[in-house]
Amino acid sequence: MAVITVFREPGAMGKEVAARIAGRLGFSLVDRAKLVQLSGEVDLDEARLLHVEEAISKGGGKIDPETEGYARLFQDLIAQLAEEQDLVVLERGAQGLFRDRPGTLHVRFVAPRKFRVAQVKNREGLSERNALRLVRTLEAERTRYLRALYHLSAADPTLYDLTLRMDRVSVEQALNIIVTAVEEMGIRQAPREKIVENTLKPHLPEKGGNGRYVNDAESEFARFLEFYHIPFEYEPRTFQLETDAEGKTMEAFTPDFYLPEQDLYIELTTLKQSLVTRKNRKVRKLRRLYPEINIRLFYQRDFYSLMAKFGLLGEPVANER
Amino acid sequence: MSDKPEGIVEILIDRETISGRIEELGREISAAYKDRTPLLVGVLKGCVLFMSDLVKEITIPVEMDFISLMSYADAHRPSGAARITKDLDCVIEGRDVLLIEGIIDTGMTAGYLLRNLEARRPKSIRVCTFLDKEARRILRIPITFRGFKVPDRFVVGYGLDFRQLYRNLPYIGILSDAITGLNRY
Repeated sequence: MAVITVFREPGAMGKEVAARIAGRLGFSLVDRAKLVQLSGEVDLDEARLLHVEEAISKGGGKIDPETEGYARLFQDLIAQLAEEQDLVVLERGAQGLFRDRPGTLHVRFVAPRKFRVAQVKNREGLSERNALRLVRTLEAERTRYLRALYHLSAADPTLYDLTLRMDRVSVEQALNIIVTAVEEMGIRQAPREKIVENTLKPHLPEKGGNGRYVNDAESEFARFLEFYHIPFEYEPRTFQLETDAEGKTMEAFTPDFYLPEQDLYIELTTLKQSLVTRKNRKVRKLRRLYPEINIRLFYQRDFYSLMAKFGLLGEPVANER
Repeated sequence: MSDKPEGIVEILIDRETISGRIEELGREISAAYKDRTPLLVGVLKGCVLFMSDLVKEITIPVEMDFISLMSYADAHRPSGAARITKDLDCVIEGRDVLLIEGIIDTGMTAGYLLRNLEARRPKSIRVCTFLDKEARRILRIPITFRGFKVPDRFVVGYGLDFRQLYRNLPYIGILSDAITGLNRY
Protein backbone atom coordinates (compact mmCIF):
# COMPACT_ATOMS: atom_id res chain seq x y z
CA MET A 1 0.00 0.00 0.00
CA ALA A 2 1.05 3.65 -0.29
CA VAL A 3 3.07 5.36 2.43
CA ILE A 4 3.89 9.01 2.99
CA THR A 5 6.55 9.56 5.61
CA VAL A 6 6.75 12.95 7.27
CA PHE A 7 9.65 14.61 8.98
CA ARG A 8 8.84 17.95 10.58
CA GLU A 9 10.98 20.65 11.97
CA PRO A 10 9.06 21.84 15.03
CA GLY A 11 6.83 24.76 14.18
CA ALA A 12 6.86 24.05 10.45
CA MET A 13 3.17 23.02 10.48
CA GLY A 14 4.01 19.53 9.31
CA LYS A 15 1.49 17.78 11.54
CA GLU A 16 -1.36 19.96 10.33
CA VAL A 17 -0.48 19.24 6.71
CA ALA A 18 0.05 15.54 7.44
CA ALA A 19 -3.35 15.22 9.10
CA ARG A 20 -5.06 17.02 6.24
CA ILE A 21 -3.26 15.04 3.55
CA ALA A 22 -4.33 11.84 5.29
CA GLY A 23 -7.91 13.07 5.27
CA ARG A 24 -7.81 14.20 1.67
CA LEU A 25 -6.25 10.99 0.32
CA GLY A 26 -8.05 8.64 2.70
CA PHE A 27 -4.81 7.48 4.32
CA SER A 28 -4.42 6.52 8.00
CA LEU A 29 -2.34 8.88 10.08
CA VAL A 30 0.24 7.05 12.18
CA ASP A 31 0.93 9.25 15.17
CA ARG A 32 1.17 8.50 18.86
CA ALA A 33 -2.58 7.85 19.18
CA LYS A 34 -2.41 5.27 16.40
CA LEU A 35 0.59 3.62 18.01
CA VAL A 36 -1.26 3.41 21.31
CA GLN A 37 -4.04 1.58 19.48
CA LEU A 38 -1.54 -0.74 17.78
CA SER A 39 0.25 -1.45 21.04
CA GLY A 40 -3.04 -2.62 22.53
CA GLU A 41 -3.41 -5.11 19.71
CA VAL A 42 -0.10 -6.75 20.61
CA ASP A 43 -0.69 -6.58 24.35
CA LEU A 44 1.77 -3.80 25.04
CA ASP A 45 0.37 -1.25 27.41
CA GLU A 46 0.42 2.44 26.66
CA ALA A 47 2.97 3.07 29.40
CA ARG A 48 5.45 0.82 27.62
CA LEU A 49 5.00 2.67 24.36
CA LEU A 50 5.43 6.02 26.06
CA HIS A 51 8.53 4.73 27.81
CA VAL A 52 10.01 3.68 24.46
CA GLU A 53 9.21 7.04 22.90
CA GLU A 54 10.63 8.87 25.89
CA ALA A 55 13.76 6.75 26.07
CA ILE A 56 14.53 7.29 22.40
CA SER A 57 13.71 10.98 22.23
CA LYS A 58 15.68 11.78 25.38
CA GLY A 59 18.34 9.17 24.93
CA GLY A 60 20.89 11.10 22.91
CA GLY A 61 20.92 8.46 20.18
CA LYS A 62 21.80 5.54 22.47
CA ILE A 63 19.19 3.17 23.85
CA ASP A 64 19.36 0.00 25.88
CA PRO A 65 18.75 -3.33 24.10
CA GLU A 66 15.33 -3.87 25.67
CA THR A 67 14.06 -0.46 24.57
CA GLU A 68 15.52 -1.05 21.14
CA GLY A 69 13.71 -4.38 20.99
CA TYR A 70 10.40 -2.72 21.70
CA ALA A 71 11.15 0.13 19.30
CA ARG A 72 11.82 -2.39 16.55
CA LEU A 73 8.63 -4.21 17.42
CA PHE A 74 6.77 -0.95 16.81
CA GLN A 75 8.66 -0.54 13.55
CA ASP A 76 7.49 -4.03 12.55
CA LEU A 77 3.92 -3.10 13.44
CA ILE A 78 4.07 0.02 11.29
CA ALA A 79 5.60 -1.97 8.40
CA GLN A 80 2.87 -4.57 8.72
CA LEU A 81 0.19 -1.89 8.84
CA ALA A 82 1.63 -0.50 5.60
CA GLU A 83 0.89 -3.88 4.05
CA GLU A 84 -2.76 -3.41 4.83
CA GLN A 85 -3.47 0.32 4.67
CA ASP A 86 -2.30 3.52 2.99
CA LEU A 87 -0.40 5.46 5.64
CA VAL A 88 0.92 8.88 6.55
CA VAL A 89 3.61 8.22 9.15
CA LEU A 90 4.90 11.00 11.39
CA GLU A 91 8.61 10.61 12.22
CA ARG A 92 9.45 7.54 14.34
CA GLY A 93 12.21 6.54 11.99
CA ALA A 94 9.82 6.03 9.07
CA GLN A 95 12.36 7.54 6.66
CA GLY A 96 14.69 4.70 7.61
CA LEU A 97 12.05 2.01 7.85
CA PHE A 98 10.64 2.74 4.39
CA ARG A 99 13.77 4.28 2.91
CA ASP A 100 13.91 2.62 -0.52
CA ARG A 101 10.44 1.14 -0.47
CA PRO A 102 8.50 1.56 -3.70
CA GLY A 103 5.14 3.24 -3.24
CA THR A 104 6.55 5.65 -0.68
CA LEU A 105 6.85 9.43 -0.66
CA HIS A 106 9.19 10.99 1.88
CA VAL A 107 8.26 14.57 2.77
CA ARG A 108 10.11 17.02 4.98
CA PHE A 109 8.68 20.26 6.35
CA VAL A 110 11.17 22.98 7.12
CA ALA A 111 11.23 26.71 7.80
CA PRO A 112 13.67 29.24 9.24
CA ARG A 113 13.83 28.93 13.00
CA LYS A 114 12.51 32.48 13.52
CA PHE A 115 9.36 31.56 11.64
CA ARG A 116 8.94 28.32 13.53
CA VAL A 117 9.48 29.89 16.94
CA ALA A 118 6.76 32.40 16.09
CA GLN A 119 4.41 29.56 15.15
CA VAL A 120 5.08 27.70 18.38
CA LYS A 121 4.77 30.89 20.42
CA ASN A 122 1.32 31.59 19.00
CA ARG A 123 0.10 28.00 19.06
CA GLU A 124 1.25 27.19 22.58
CA GLY A 125 0.82 30.67 24.10
CA LEU A 126 4.47 30.75 25.20
CA SER A 127 6.94 33.53 25.65
CA GLU A 128 9.49 33.99 22.87
CA ARG A 129 12.19 32.51 25.09
CA ASN A 130 10.19 29.43 26.09
CA ALA A 131 9.02 28.87 22.53
CA LEU A 132 12.65 28.91 21.38
CA ARG A 133 13.58 26.46 24.13
CA LEU A 134 10.78 24.11 23.13
CA VAL A 135 11.71 24.30 19.46
CA ARG A 136 15.33 23.44 20.23
CA THR A 137 14.31 20.52 22.43
CA LEU A 138 11.96 19.11 19.83
CA GLU A 139 14.51 19.60 17.05
CA ALA A 140 16.89 17.31 18.90
CA GLU A 141 14.26 14.79 19.94
CA ARG A 142 12.76 14.26 16.50
CA THR A 143 16.07 13.26 14.95
CA ARG A 144 16.85 10.55 17.49
CA TYR A 145 14.61 7.75 16.22
CA LEU A 146 16.43 7.79 12.90
CA ARG A 147 19.80 7.93 14.56
CA ALA A 148 19.09 5.28 17.20
CA LEU A 149 17.43 2.73 14.94
CA TYR A 150 18.92 3.36 11.52
CA HIS A 151 22.08 5.39 12.14
CA LEU A 152 20.76 8.02 9.76
CA SER A 153 20.89 11.76 10.07
CA ALA A 154 17.54 13.50 9.68
CA ALA A 155 19.45 16.39 8.12
CA ASP A 156 20.48 14.22 5.15
CA PRO A 157 18.55 15.72 2.20
CA THR A 158 18.68 12.46 0.25
CA LEU A 159 16.26 10.89 2.72
CA TYR A 160 13.45 13.02 1.29
CA ASP A 161 11.70 13.17 -2.07
CA LEU A 162 10.12 16.50 -1.28
CA THR A 163 11.14 19.31 1.05
CA LEU A 164 8.61 22.07 1.66
CA ARG A 165 9.65 25.44 3.09
CA MET A 166 6.56 26.32 5.02
CA ASP A 167 7.35 30.02 5.34
CA ARG A 168 7.07 30.20 1.56
CA VAL A 169 4.06 27.97 0.86
CA SER A 170 0.67 27.92 2.53
CA VAL A 171 -0.83 24.80 4.06
CA GLU A 172 -3.22 24.54 1.10
CA GLN A 173 -0.38 24.87 -1.39
CA ALA A 174 1.61 22.22 0.51
CA LEU A 175 -1.39 19.91 0.31
CA ASN A 176 -1.69 20.40 -3.43
CA ILE A 177 2.02 19.86 -3.99
CA ILE A 178 1.96 16.59 -2.04
CA VAL A 179 -1.16 15.33 -3.82
CA THR A 180 0.49 16.14 -7.13
CA ALA A 181 3.66 14.32 -6.06
CA VAL A 182 1.64 11.28 -5.03
CA GLU A 183 -0.06 11.22 -8.42
CA GLU A 184 3.03 12.01 -10.49
CA MET A 185 5.15 9.42 -8.72
CA GLY A 186 2.43 6.79 -9.03
CA ILE A 187 2.61 6.11 -5.31
CA ARG A 188 -0.84 4.60 -5.09
CA GLN A 189 -0.38 2.48 -8.18
CA ALA A 190 2.66 0.64 -6.84
CA PRO A 191 1.95 -3.06 -7.27
CA ARG A 192 1.57 -4.77 -3.93
CA GLU A 193 3.73 -7.74 -4.93
CA LYS A 194 6.58 -5.40 -5.74
CA ILE A 195 6.33 -3.68 -2.39
CA VAL A 196 6.38 -6.96 -0.52
CA GLU A 197 9.17 -8.37 -2.61
CA ASN A 198 11.43 -5.39 -2.39
CA THR A 199 11.05 -4.34 1.18
CA LEU A 200 9.49 -6.77 3.55
CA LYS A 201 10.81 -10.05 2.24
CA PRO A 202 14.49 -9.47 2.90
CA HIS A 203 13.81 -8.95 6.59
CA LEU A 204 12.24 -12.38 6.89
CA PRO A 205 13.90 -15.77 6.67
CA GLU A 206 13.70 -17.20 3.14
CA LYS A 207 11.55 -20.18 3.95
CA GLY A 208 8.03 -19.40 4.99
CA GLY A 209 8.85 -15.75 4.62
CA ASN A 210 6.28 -14.98 2.01
CA GLY A 211 5.10 -11.92 3.86
CA ARG A 212 2.11 -13.56 5.46
CA TYR A 213 3.60 -13.79 8.93
CA VAL A 214 3.35 -10.82 11.25
CA ASN A 215 6.87 -11.03 12.59
CA ASP A 216 10.12 -12.94 12.31
CA ALA A 217 9.22 -15.16 15.27
CA GLU A 218 6.15 -16.48 13.46
CA SER A 219 8.14 -16.94 10.30
CA GLU A 220 10.85 -18.82 12.18
CA PHE A 221 8.29 -21.00 13.92
CA ALA A 222 6.67 -21.85 10.59
CA ARG A 223 10.09 -22.81 9.27
CA PHE A 224 10.61 -24.96 12.37
CA LEU A 225 7.35 -26.83 11.73
CA GLU A 226 8.14 -27.22 8.05
CA PHE A 227 11.59 -28.58 8.88
CA TYR A 228 10.07 -31.43 10.86
CA HIS A 229 7.30 -31.96 8.29
CA ILE A 230 4.60 -31.03 10.78
CA PRO A 231 1.39 -30.05 8.95
CA PHE A 232 0.06 -26.70 10.12
CA GLU A 233 -2.34 -23.95 9.21
CA TYR A 234 -1.68 -20.28 9.78
CA GLU A 235 -4.43 -18.32 11.56
CA PRO A 236 -7.16 -20.66 10.31
CA ARG A 237 -9.82 -19.71 12.82
CA THR A 238 -11.04 -16.71 14.75
CA PHE A 239 -12.75 -17.38 18.04
CA GLN A 240 -15.46 -15.00 19.13
CA LEU A 241 -14.85 -14.07 22.77
CA GLU A 242 -17.45 -11.40 23.38
CA THR A 243 -20.48 -10.07 21.55
CA ASP A 244 -22.81 -7.14 22.15
CA ALA A 245 -26.58 -7.36 22.51
CA GLU A 246 -27.00 -7.49 18.73
CA GLY A 247 -24.54 -10.32 18.34
CA LYS A 248 -21.81 -8.11 16.91
CA THR A 249 -18.30 -9.27 17.76
CA MET A 250 -16.75 -7.11 20.45
CA GLU A 251 -13.71 -9.25 21.15
CA ALA A 252 -12.13 -12.05 19.18
CA PHE A 253 -8.96 -14.06 19.17
CA THR A 254 -7.11 -15.64 16.26
CA PRO A 255 -4.34 -18.02 17.36
CA ASP A 256 -1.32 -18.00 15.08
CA PHE A 257 -0.94 -21.67 14.23
CA TYR A 258 -3.05 -24.79 14.17
CA LEU A 259 -1.46 -28.25 14.11
CA PRO A 260 -4.23 -30.55 12.84
CA GLU A 261 -2.43 -33.79 13.70
CA GLN A 262 -2.09 -32.62 17.29
CA ASP A 263 -5.40 -30.76 17.30
CA LEU A 264 -3.41 -27.96 18.91
CA TYR A 265 -3.51 -24.18 18.49
CA ILE A 266 -0.33 -22.26 19.15
CA GLU A 267 -0.15 -18.57 19.88
CA LEU A 268 3.27 -16.97 19.71
CA THR A 269 4.12 -13.77 21.44
CA THR A 270 7.44 -12.04 21.09
CA LEU A 271 6.78 -10.09 24.25
CA LYS A 272 8.06 -10.84 27.72
CA GLN A 273 5.76 -12.92 29.86
CA SER A 274 5.18 -10.06 32.28
CA LEU A 275 3.84 -7.89 29.47
CA VAL A 276 1.34 -10.23 27.98
CA THR A 277 -1.42 -9.97 30.52
CA ARG A 278 -3.98 -9.10 27.88
CA LYS A 279 -3.06 -12.06 25.76
CA ASN A 280 -3.06 -14.32 28.81
CA ARG A 281 -6.53 -13.09 29.62
CA LYS A 282 -7.69 -13.82 26.08
CA VAL A 283 -6.28 -17.33 26.23
CA ARG A 284 -7.98 -17.94 29.58
CA LYS A 285 -11.23 -16.66 28.14
CA LEU A 286 -10.85 -18.85 25.09
CA ARG A 287 -10.26 -21.91 27.27
CA ARG A 288 -13.33 -21.08 29.33
CA LEU A 289 -15.60 -20.52 26.33
CA TYR A 290 -14.17 -23.31 24.19
CA PRO A 291 -13.05 -26.01 26.65
CA GLU A 292 -12.60 -28.49 23.81
CA ILE A 293 -9.88 -26.35 22.25
CA ASN A 294 -6.24 -27.10 23.01
CA ILE A 295 -4.11 -24.00 22.92
CA ARG A 296 -0.52 -23.40 23.87
CA LEU A 297 0.91 -19.92 24.41
CA PHE A 298 4.53 -19.56 23.43
CA TYR A 299 6.16 -16.68 25.26
CA GLN A 300 9.20 -14.77 24.16
CA ARG A 301 11.43 -16.87 26.38
CA ASP A 302 9.96 -20.14 25.07
CA PHE A 303 10.74 -19.06 21.57
CA TYR A 304 14.27 -17.95 22.32
CA SER A 305 14.87 -21.12 24.36
CA LEU A 306 13.93 -23.07 21.28
CA MET A 307 16.42 -21.09 19.24
CA ALA A 308 19.08 -21.42 21.95
CA LYS A 309 18.67 -25.19 21.90
CA PHE A 310 19.89 -25.21 18.33
CA GLY A 311 22.61 -22.68 19.02
CA LEU A 312 20.76 -20.12 16.94
CA LEU A 313 20.80 -17.22 19.35
CA GLY A 314 24.38 -16.42 18.49
CA GLU A 315 26.32 -17.55 15.48
CA PRO A 316 24.59 -20.38 13.64
CA VAL A 317 26.51 -23.50 14.57
CA ALA A 318 25.63 -27.08 13.67
CA ASN A 319 24.26 -28.84 16.72
CA GLU A 320 22.61 -32.15 17.07
CA ARG A 321 20.54 -32.93 20.06
CA MET B 1 35.12 -34.23 37.82
CA SER B 2 34.04 -32.55 41.01
CA ASP B 3 34.44 -28.92 39.94
CA LYS B 4 31.79 -27.43 37.72
CA PRO B 5 33.11 -26.06 34.45
CA GLU B 6 32.48 -22.44 33.57
CA GLY B 7 28.89 -21.84 32.58
CA ILE B 8 27.32 -24.57 34.71
CA VAL B 9 25.26 -22.74 37.30
CA GLU B 10 23.83 -25.77 39.07
CA ILE B 11 24.08 -29.54 39.09
CA LEU B 12 20.52 -30.65 38.54
CA ILE B 13 21.02 -34.44 38.66
CA ASP B 14 24.24 -35.85 40.11
CA ARG B 15 25.96 -38.99 38.89
CA GLU B 16 24.82 -41.14 41.83
CA THR B 17 21.18 -40.27 41.22
CA ILE B 18 21.64 -40.95 37.51
CA SER B 19 23.25 -44.28 38.21
CA GLY B 20 20.45 -45.35 40.58
CA ARG B 21 17.72 -44.42 38.14
CA ILE B 22 19.42 -46.18 35.25
CA GLU B 23 19.57 -49.39 37.27
CA GLU B 24 15.81 -49.10 37.80
CA LEU B 25 15.22 -48.40 34.11
CA GLY B 26 17.30 -51.43 33.20
CA ARG B 27 15.12 -53.60 35.37
CA GLU B 28 11.91 -52.09 33.95
CA ILE B 29 13.03 -52.63 30.37
CA SER B 30 14.25 -56.16 31.10
CA ALA B 31 10.86 -57.02 32.56
CA ALA B 32 8.88 -55.37 29.77
CA TYR B 33 10.76 -57.26 27.04
CA LYS B 34 11.10 -60.57 28.85
CA ASP B 35 11.57 -63.45 26.39
CA ARG B 36 12.11 -61.04 23.54
CA THR B 37 15.19 -59.46 21.96
CA PRO B 38 14.45 -55.81 21.48
CA LEU B 39 16.40 -53.59 19.15
CA LEU B 40 17.56 -50.49 20.97
CA VAL B 41 17.78 -47.58 18.54
CA GLY B 42 19.85 -44.74 19.96
CA VAL B 43 19.30 -41.22 18.66
CA LEU B 44 22.72 -39.69 18.17
CA LYS B 45 24.46 -37.97 19.76
CA GLY B 46 22.52 -37.14 22.90
CA CYS B 47 21.82 -40.78 23.73
CA VAL B 48 25.38 -42.02 23.82
CA LEU B 49 26.29 -41.86 27.52
CA PHE B 50 22.80 -42.81 28.66
CA MET B 51 22.52 -45.74 26.30
CA SER B 52 25.96 -47.14 27.10
CA ASP B 53 25.12 -47.16 30.83
CA LEU B 54 21.56 -48.35 30.28
CA VAL B 55 22.40 -51.46 28.26
CA LYS B 56 24.73 -52.61 31.03
CA GLU B 57 21.74 -52.70 33.38
CA ILE B 58 19.49 -54.66 30.99
CA THR B 59 19.59 -58.36 31.76
CA ILE B 60 17.92 -59.74 28.63
CA PRO B 61 19.55 -60.04 25.18
CA VAL B 62 19.36 -56.78 23.21
CA GLU B 63 20.63 -55.51 19.90
CA MET B 64 21.80 -51.97 19.35
CA ASP B 65 21.70 -49.60 16.42
CA PHE B 66 21.88 -45.85 15.97
CA ILE B 67 20.15 -43.19 13.97
CA SER B 68 20.81 -39.50 13.51
CA LEU B 69 18.66 -36.64 12.26
CA MET B 70 19.83 -33.40 10.73
CA SER B 71 19.75 -30.58 13.24
CA TYR B 72 17.29 -27.74 12.92
CA ALA B 73 20.33 -25.47 12.97
CA ASP B 74 20.83 -26.66 9.41
CA ALA B 75 17.37 -25.47 8.42
CA HIS B 76 18.97 -22.09 7.84
CA ARG B 77 20.94 -23.54 4.99
CA PRO B 78 19.49 -24.15 1.51
CA SER B 79 17.12 -27.13 1.22
CA GLY B 80 16.63 -27.13 4.97
CA ALA B 81 14.23 -29.93 5.69
CA ALA B 82 14.79 -32.65 8.25
CA ARG B 83 16.40 -35.79 6.94
CA ILE B 84 18.18 -38.75 8.43
CA THR B 85 21.93 -38.24 8.29
CA LYS B 86 22.83 -41.66 9.70
CA ASP B 87 20.32 -44.42 9.10
CA LEU B 88 19.95 -47.79 10.80
CA ASP B 89 22.20 -50.60 9.65
CA CYS B 90 19.53 -53.23 10.17
CA VAL B 91 15.99 -53.93 9.01
CA ILE B 92 13.41 -53.35 11.73
CA GLU B 93 10.38 -54.93 10.12
CA GLY B 94 8.81 -57.31 12.63
CA ARG B 95 11.20 -56.22 15.40
CA ASP B 96 10.47 -54.83 18.85
CA VAL B 97 12.08 -51.42 18.63
CA LEU B 98 12.93 -49.23 21.61
CA LEU B 99 13.90 -45.70 20.62
CA ILE B 100 16.46 -44.28 23.07
CA GLU B 101 16.58 -40.49 23.39
CA GLY B 102 18.82 -38.32 25.56
CA ILE B 103 16.10 -35.73 26.00
CA ILE B 104 12.62 -35.04 24.64
CA ASP B 105 11.41 -31.47 24.85
CA THR B 106 9.31 -30.17 21.95
CA GLY B 107 9.05 -33.74 20.72
CA MET B 108 9.86 -32.74 17.15
CA THR B 109 12.86 -35.04 16.70
CA ALA B 110 11.20 -38.01 18.40
CA GLY B 111 7.98 -37.38 16.47
CA TYR B 112 9.80 -37.30 13.15
CA LEU B 113 11.74 -40.48 13.93
CA LEU B 114 8.68 -42.33 15.19
CA ARG B 115 6.83 -41.56 11.97
CA ASN B 116 9.82 -42.67 9.96
CA LEU B 117 10.42 -45.87 11.88
CA GLU B 118 6.75 -46.83 12.08
CA ALA B 119 6.66 -46.76 8.27
CA ARG B 120 9.19 -49.62 8.32
CA ARG B 121 6.59 -51.85 9.99
CA PRO B 122 8.27 -52.92 13.23
CA LYS B 123 6.34 -55.32 15.44
CA SER B 124 6.29 -52.70 18.18
CA ILE B 125 7.92 -49.38 18.86
CA ARG B 126 8.33 -47.69 22.21
CA VAL B 127 10.19 -44.66 23.49
CA CYS B 128 12.70 -44.42 26.31
CA THR B 129 14.10 -41.03 27.17
CA PHE B 130 16.67 -40.16 29.76
CA LEU B 131 15.20 -36.68 30.31
CA ASP B 132 11.68 -35.41 29.70
CA LYS B 133 11.22 -31.66 29.49
CA GLU B 134 7.46 -31.81 29.37
CA ALA B 135 6.90 -28.07 29.74
CA ARG B 136 8.21 -27.52 26.22
CA ARG B 137 6.19 -30.23 24.49
CA ILE B 138 4.49 -29.45 21.22
CA LEU B 139 4.01 -32.95 19.83
CA ARG B 140 2.49 -35.67 21.98
CA ILE B 141 5.05 -38.45 22.34
CA PRO B 142 4.11 -41.70 24.05
CA ILE B 143 6.98 -42.23 26.50
CA THR B 144 7.12 -45.70 28.01
CA PHE B 145 10.39 -45.40 29.93
CA ARG B 146 11.51 -42.11 31.42
CA GLY B 147 14.63 -41.35 33.44
CA PHE B 148 13.79 -37.97 34.89
CA LYS B 149 11.38 -35.12 34.34
CA VAL B 150 13.32 -31.86 34.18
CA PRO B 151 12.22 -28.25 34.53
CA ASP B 152 12.25 -25.79 31.65
CA ARG B 153 15.93 -24.91 31.96
CA PHE B 154 18.77 -25.40 29.50
CA VAL B 155 20.38 -28.66 30.58
CA VAL B 156 23.66 -30.15 29.42
CA GLY B 157 25.92 -33.04 30.34
CA TYR B 158 25.73 -36.79 30.27
CA GLY B 159 25.58 -36.72 26.48
CA LEU B 160 23.63 -33.50 26.06
CA ASP B 161 25.40 -30.56 24.51
CA PHE B 162 25.37 -26.90 23.80
CA ARG B 163 27.17 -26.32 20.52
CA GLN B 164 28.74 -29.78 20.86
CA LEU B 165 30.29 -29.02 24.25
CA TYR B 166 29.50 -30.35 27.75
CA ARG B 167 28.52 -33.85 26.59
CA ASN B 168 31.27 -35.38 28.71
CA LEU B 169 29.98 -34.08 32.04
CA PRO B 170 29.02 -37.06 34.25
CA TYR B 171 25.97 -35.22 35.58
CA ILE B 172 23.12 -33.06 34.29
CA GLY B 173 23.90 -29.41 34.80
CA ILE B 174 22.02 -26.20 34.14
CA LEU B 175 23.79 -23.97 31.67
CA SER B 176 24.09 -20.26 32.29
CA ASP B 177 21.88 -17.95 30.22
CA ALA B 178 25.00 -15.95 29.47
CA ILE B 179 26.38 -18.95 27.55
CA THR B 180 23.18 -19.79 25.68
CA GLY B 181 22.50 -16.14 24.89
CA LEU B 182 19.15 -16.22 26.70
CA ASN B 183 20.28 -13.48 29.07
CA ARG B 184 19.71 -11.01 26.25
CA TYR B 185 16.01 -11.79 26.08
